[in-house]
Amino acid sequence: MNNDAETVFVLNMWRRSLSTRYRCFGRRSVGPKGVWSSHAVRTCSSPVLPAGRITALEAVDFWRRHFEERGVMEPDQSSQHIIAHVLGAKTIESLERERLTEFLSQETAEQVWKLCTRRLSRMPVQYVIEEWDFRDLTLKMRPPVFIPRPETEELVELVLTDLLMKPGTGVGADTQHTCLEVGCGSGAISLSLLKSLPQLKAVALDQSQDAVDLTTENALRLRLQDRLQVHHLDIMKDAETVLSLCRPVLVLVSNPPYLFSEDMASLEPEIFRFEDHAALDGGEDGLRVIKQILVLAPQILSDHGRVYMEVDPRHPPLIRQWVEVNVGELQYVETRHDITGRPRFCILQKAKAKRDHKLDLD
Amino acid sequence: MLSRWKRFVYLLRCSYYVSEVEAKPQLQQYRSAFVFGSWIRRLPKPQTVFSDRTRRTLHTSSPSMVKLLSVEELFARRSLQEHLKKMEMEYGDCLWAVSSSGPEEQCSEDQLRTKRTKVSLLAPLVQSIRELDAKQKEIAETEILLKDEDPALRELAELERENCVQDIRDLRQKILELLIPEEEADLSDLVLEVTAGVGGQEAMLFTAEMFDMYQGFAQHHGWSFDVLEHMTSDIGGLRHASASISGSQSYKKMKFEAGVHRVQRVPKTEKQGRMHTSTMTVAVLPQPTEISFTINPKDLRIDTKRASGAGGQHVNTTDSAVRIVHLPTGVVAECQQERSQLKNREKAMKALRAKLYGMKLEEETSKRSNQRKIQIGTKGRSEKIRTYNFAQDRITDHRIGMTVHDIKSFLLGEDLLDEMNSSLQEFSDQETLMELLEESSQEVS
Repeated sequence: MNNDAETVFVLNMWRRSLSTRYRCFGRRSVGPKGVWSSHAVRTCSSPVLPAGRITALEAVDFWRRHFEERGVMEPDQSSQHIIAHVLGAKTIESLERERLTEFLSQETAEQVWKLCTRRLSRMPVQYVIEEWDFRDLTLKMRPPVFIPRPETEELVELVLTDLLMKPGTGVGADTQHTCLEVGCGSGAISLSLLKSLPQLKAVALDQSQDAVDLTTENALRLRLQDRLQVHHLDIMKDAETVLSLCRPVLVLVSNPPYLFSEDMASLEPEIFRFEDHAALDGGEDGLRVIKQILVLAPQILSDHGRVYMEVDPRHPPLIRQWVEVNVGELQYVETRHDITGRPRFCILQKAKAKRDHKLDLD
Repeated sequence: MLSRWKRFVYLLRCSYYVSEVEAKPQLQQYRSAFVFGSWIRRLPKPQTVFSDRTRRTLHTSSPSMVKLLSVEELFARRSLQEHLKKMEMEYGDCLWAVSSSGPEEQCSEDQLRTKRTKVSLLAPLVQSIRELDAKQKEIAETEILLKDEDPALRELAELERENCVQDIRDLRQKILELLIPEEEADLSDLVLEVTAGVGGQEAMLFTAEMFDMYQGFAQHHGWSFDVLEHMTSDIGGLRHASASISGSQSYKKMKFEAGVHRVQRVPKTEKQGRMHTSTMTVAVLPQPTEISFTINPKDLRIDTKRASGAGGQHVNTTDSAVRIVHLPTGVVAECQQERSQLKNREKAMKALRAKLYGMKLEEETSKRSNQRKIQIGTKGRSEKIRTYNFAQDRITDHRIGMTVHDIKSFLLGEDLLDEMNSSLQEFSDQETLMELLEESSQEVS
């Protein structure tokens, strides 16, 4: 079965298919297309591990085609990320040519098959490999805890830029500032801030025990647990407890659930089936949790403290209007855009109550 | 000792008649030890048994001989001696001007500042010149003692003389280094870009080997090598790649690698065993600091895969590739090396900055003399600087006509590449020095 001629022939077939982007046609016909023909796929729900040996590149291509066939989103990225992870790297590009063209061991191949089969069920890649990168951190991921999005990396950037301008946040500074995160999920935001600002302390809360556990786990892995407190609290129901948690903070940051309820149904299976809906659904107008955070903000923030939130692109003008009427002590500072140009971030500051302002003017 | 020299002479004579194909490893060591000015440092007791010219002609492949002068030869030149005297005088003048017993006429604050800077710049050079003069007087004194009758004294004098000779050589080397001004870019880090040229798949395979070589070179010097862009071909070749290299003297050394590299061999893809010539281009772009070069964010358009739809919580993707377009110039940089979109963006920005800075520097370096053999910048970009001939197992650098053997070791990016690089550096320094002396003598006359 594994004599040299056969291997060489099979390799040649793979090489040709790689270079000419060979598609489906000839697959059903009988022919030496290697030991893993499409017949196996059609009969079972997940493909069988080939009897012969396979290289990493061949595995990538094999699974890419399978993901395509089964309508799995981002078939090439999925197979590349999973296989790179099994080989101990973050991306396929960072692996040397030699590693990609040498045969996988039996255990490695089995691991690849196991993980890729999970992906076939539309499980997000981040849950399949149980980790993902956020800024310069690598965080553990576990369903159903919400997976950090790239936009949130920019939210952290905004907070950092502002904090670095303030005295007392750099290395060797005297004053200790605290930030509060509502809805920490995997801990991405808080842990990024803690990593970049050695003098900062953070308090994080989430209504999901899974999220609290995962944030704690990530904090321990990154050795930031000393400066982070994680609490299992629901901002909607446990407002009083939240207010008594810590003295007024400089920064209140959040990536709250901001999807409109009607949009939930049109989410991709990766999100709908695997991620916590409570981390996504913001109510009819997507503002349910956002409004609660803003109402409580003046009592959580110190003077001139700021709120930084990631929101839906439709929200900024709505929030601005609503705050003006309903939260006198919060002043809307500005809307910032993400790199795709969508209005994404709202920054508000605790100021003197507007009523007081008017009195002063009279 | 003498037998070693005799053996060396014999080997040299042999090698002169033997073709460049089969270089003996031990000869290689001597050859590289001797050729380019650094032989003094490598051998214990150098003696001027051979004339410089015979040694050097053996190792050039082109008829136009490249002559790298030794330290002695340079110091024998009148233009150098005059220049050194000029520097001493200038130092003296400036020192007098800024000292308390200065001239009667008032120098402006600016002028005084310039003179002070000049004094601090010239101080080490003048110090070395004076030390050299002192050593030369010392050696003259020991010459007298050598003729003494007392054998013990003679031996002592001999030792003294040897030390003096060594010191003089070191001082001269130091003076030469001080004379050559350091370029601003020499202190910076760089972005290395490799692009496959003529030759299709074979060129791309060669580009991949070269990229690996430079990675080895960076490792050899303890520099960091951070891949920014990496576009592969189907059979494992490289269309285009770029990497950010940072470390001490990284730009200073790598700048000599810029240009077109040519390979002559039977490609892997060739079925009939015919020899092909393919090319690849190396570009070396100094990495500007934040302050020295800023890009207006409004001039940039950033493309990501999350551009369509609502983005944010609505979408979960693992495609974090970022592409940045500099709108005024149309220069593009993209990166998908990382899983974090922010990191990809940072890397793409880095690559873009280097490209734009490179373009800016082109304008400045175009003012430099055209006569140099070693060109850096656009003039050097399209020049064929090196040929890698696999059949004859040789690498020839055309700028200085230097040939080394053992391509396999060369492509590791370690000692062999380092030696060639050092030779290029020495040659370039010499060219700079000659230009400097030329300008100096013209000023005087």
